[in-house]
Amino acid sequence: MAFVLNVPETPEDLGSQEPSPCDESEVHHSFCQLIQEQSQWAAEEGLGLPSMGPGAGALGASGGHHQAFLGPEGATVYSSATLRILASMPSRTIGRSRGAIISQYYNRSVRLRRRASRPQLRVLGRSAWPSLRLYDLELDSVTLEEEEKRVLLVKELQGLAAAQQDHLLRGMPLSLAEKRCLREEARTPRGKPRLGRPGLLSCCSQLRYACALALHHLGLRLLSGLHALVPWHYALKRIGGQFGSSVLSYFLFLKTLLAFNALLLLPLLAFIVGPQAAFPPAPQGSAPAFTGRELLLGGGRFNDTVLYYGYYSNATLNQWCAGPLDGSQCAPEATSLPYNMPLAYLFTIGAAFFITCLTLVYSMSHSFGESYRVGSTLGAHAITVFCSWDHKVTQKWASRLQHDNIRTQLKELLAEWQLQRGPRSLCGRLRQLGLLGLVWLLCLGTTLGCTVAVYSFSEFLIESPVSANQEGLLLALPLVVCLLNLGAPYLYRGLAALERHDSPVLEVYVAICRNLILKMVILGILCYHWLGRRVDALQDQCWENFVGQELYRLMVMDFIFTLLDTLFGELVWRLISEKKLKRGKPEFDIARNVLELIHGQTLTWLGVLFAPLLPAVQILKLLLLFYVKKTSLMANCQAPRRPWRASHMSTVFISLLCFPSFLGAAIFLCYAVWQVKPSSLCGPFRTLDTMYEAGKVWVRHLERAGPGVSWLPWIHRYLVENTFPIYLVSALLLAVIYLNIQVVKGQRKVISLLKEQISNEGEDKIFLINKLHAVYERKERSRGGRTQEAVMPPADQRDAQ
Amino acid sequence: MGQCLRYQIHWEDLEEYQALTFLTRNEILCIHDTFLKLCPPGKYYKEATLTTDQVSSLPALRVNPFRDRICRVFSHNDVFSFEDVLGMASVFSEQACPSLKVEYAFRIYDFNENGFIDEEDLQRIVLRLLNSNDVSEDLLTDLTNHVLDESDLDNDNMLSFSEFEHAMAKAPDFMNTAGSNSICILVMLKVASRSLWVGLGELQMGHD
Repeated sequence: MAFVLNVPETPEDLGSQEPSPCDESEVHHSFCQLIQEQSQWAAEEGLGLPSMGPGAGALGASGGHHQAFLGPEGATVYSSATLRILASMPSRTIGRSRGAIISQYYNRSVRLRRRASRPQLRVLGRSAWPSLRLYDLELDSVTLEEEEKRVLLVKELQGLAAAQQDHLLRGMPLSLAEKRCLREEARTPRGKPRLGRPGLLSCCSQLRYACALALHHLGLRLLSGLHALVPWHYALKRIGGQFGSSVLSYFLFLKTLLAFNALLLLPLLAFIVGPQAAFPPAPQGSAPAFTGRELLLGGGRFNDTVLYYGYYSNATLNQWCAGPLDGSQCAPEATSLPYNMPLAYLFTIGAAFFITCLTLVYSMSHSFGESYRVGSTLGAHAITVFCSWDHKVTQKWASRLQHDNIRTQLKELLAEWQLQRGPRSLCGRLRQLGLLGLVWLLCLGTTLGCTVAVYSFSEFLIESPVSANQEGLLLALPLVVCLLNLGAPYLYRGLAALERHDSPVLEVYVAICRNLILKMVILGILCYHWLGRRVDALQDQCWENFVGQELYRLMVMDFIFTLLDTLFGELVWRLISEKKLKRGKPEFDIARNVLELIHGQTLTWLGVLFAPLLPAVQILKLLLLFYVKKTSLMANCQAPRRPWRASHMSTVFISLLCFPSFLGAAIFLCYAVWQVKPSSLCGPFRTLDTMYEAGKVWVRHLERAGPGVSWLPWIHRYLVENTFPIYLVSALLLAVIYLNIQVVKGQRKVISLLKEQISNEGEDKIFLINKLHAVYERKERSRGGRTQEAVMPPADQRDAQ
Repeated sequence: MGQCLRYQIHWEDLEEYQALTFLTRNEILCIHDTFLKLCPPGKYYKEATLTTDQVSSLPALRVNPFRDRICRVFSHNDVFSFEDVLGMASVFSEQACPSLKVEYAFRIYDFNENGFIDEEDLQRIVLRLLNSNDVSEDLLTDLTNHVLDESDLDNDNMLSFSEFEHAMAKAPDFMNTAGSNSICILVMLKVASRSLWVGLGELQMGHD
């Protein structure tokens, strides 16, 4: 079976259509003939070609010629001889024709063999720039025929091991029949006799293959079943198809948060909640009955459970002599495993936070690496056009989904580019800046107002303590906070309508920034209120439990308000907007929803120390939120009217999660562990000055234990308590970052230089083509002028090839 | 029926196909099965051919907007032999190396088969992707201009294979490349046009 690419015979004349490189038999093989004729003619005519100079200068000089050769409609018309030369140029035949492929792979395998030799520079004397590397386009001084190249390739293949041969052949873009021929030729001279087993397969092999096929079908079915297990896979595809990738990024972020919470919850369950639940402490008094209010208030029945810090014992569990931490000697039972609860509490929380930090930083750098490439801030259009079709799709509805998705993506792309406005006058720009400044001032003022409100209200709450029957008043602070968090963004949105940004992406970023500042400042005030004021106010009570309950209440109120916001902001607004205002469905506000998610996650991280089961509450909350938001989206909202690409949004979301949110929570945790005195009535650290002391006590205990574990106290003294290692590590980190920045800068420079060279070479190519064309024209004219009868028939024959 | 001629495939042939394609043995047998079901019964599989329509109606290609181009690229004389079908499956399999995929993707996208992806090709690609013929002219021209602005490095209004490969290098899931590889591809592109200089040099010096 011959490898022939069917090229349709074009009805247009040869003069205006370049022959395809697939017409290999018609390719003009070398410059030699042309050059011979030319030099002959030049000698006869005494015509000197002007000296060549690279690039635009010479192009300008030949501009006159260039104009003369414009055919009808301004399209350049080349002679057939020029076209044949063009068709055989390497840039047009890389991987295109069989000869070129074979030659390319021959060169590649030769290069593999001759790694030590450097490329020859003497051939490149004409180039404008010395080459950096010569790839597999070595300019053979002898242009070999395809057959000879093929023979050479086969010889090269014979030099390789069988596995390498197969690997090379597999990657070649030839038909399978061709590859089989090459393989056969490469294999036979090696003398390996072909295993002759003529005829059909025997019965047992048939059985084997039948089993293999059946297993294969089963495997395929299992795989598709597994695919269905991936949570919300189809739902996410539907959302992406109908609303675009920006709305989808919100739901993907929700899924990511779910993963983070699960990651946080597992060590807590395994090392803190589990052991304590297995060895419950002696109950202190009777537990109050369960009323429904606990779900909202977090106190009552929930108070003395694994949910809160106060439940955890400060002794070593499972040790039959009740002794405090500083190790009175008692003989443990042979089968029991003593479990030091305070140590476990401290270390597990620390380890969980450390793992979360690593995962966050890794996923942030990963998504940053995916959305940013050196020297390629553009390229999205090409990728969308060429790579967006998923060829695995086999169902009609799925393909319709893909078409919708691609249509939305392409529209988003173009909308981003359609923001070219004319340059504004100085006056307009100044006005714009003034307006911007004013709006920012108003927003910051609102933030300040909200902060002061929260502060004064919290001070008021401390002054007036809550009695047992007025438990509903405990919800006052969360209510105020949530109301402010709900109302202020609408105010910001109203103010943002005054300033008119050019790009919708910038608008979203500014809105996110403002909302984030508000939320973080309010949380900061609350943290001060808890760790600064509540600790003093609740000296003789279990203040950690109180803080844990406050955070639980905040989370629950946050969830309730999100539901209310979805209900009124989306459902009711849609009804009003469709019936009364006739404006159509409202848009899905991505920025606000994402910040709500980040806010909820910050609360979880703040509260983990005081209520270890808070991540479980958050997981439940997120699960419910997904379904509520999805239903509301499908029913009430429409795709953003000004679609914008969310390719960088996921990076932004993760960065926001890492920097203000997680960092703040980590600072809060560190301060609580290192500086605050734990309450003396409850919890695993009741007898200590700070929570960190549990670790110190243990290290001292180890020091006394003997020389066997002396390295641990040593590490503690010289690496953890000493500040020098931290400076060293920071310095190393800074050095690594600096090096990477320099490398990226260098690469970017090289890429821009090379791009410039390529466009110069492109201009050179155009210039040379025109020169060639000019030469041929002159030749034809002179030949035609000289002898009409003698020369025309041969010229006709050559042209008619 | 094809029952008695179910496994016409020879052991050595199976080994060879496995070595030369990216398919596993089970996948080859599966394709063999499907091929025999579609081709006229009683014929030896190596001589049987399928028409383009038959291959286009396979479940894998039925809803693909580029199925006619795919069939065109992988078939010979408008028919598919068994090895052609295997070759096609190999290129589309998950284990295939990205360079092979890029190679064939270029051929598939080259609608007018002139060795380049020019504006006409780009417009047809977009029309196929959107699956409708009533797309505004502005959208089409805008999009083709953007793609050419981004990927056409030597300003000839067409994408050669090297330029296409370079553009695909930026797609994170298409080819696993870092920034440094794009430099290599750029060098390749530059070197490609060097041959013209040599040719002209010979022309000027009257070199034989």
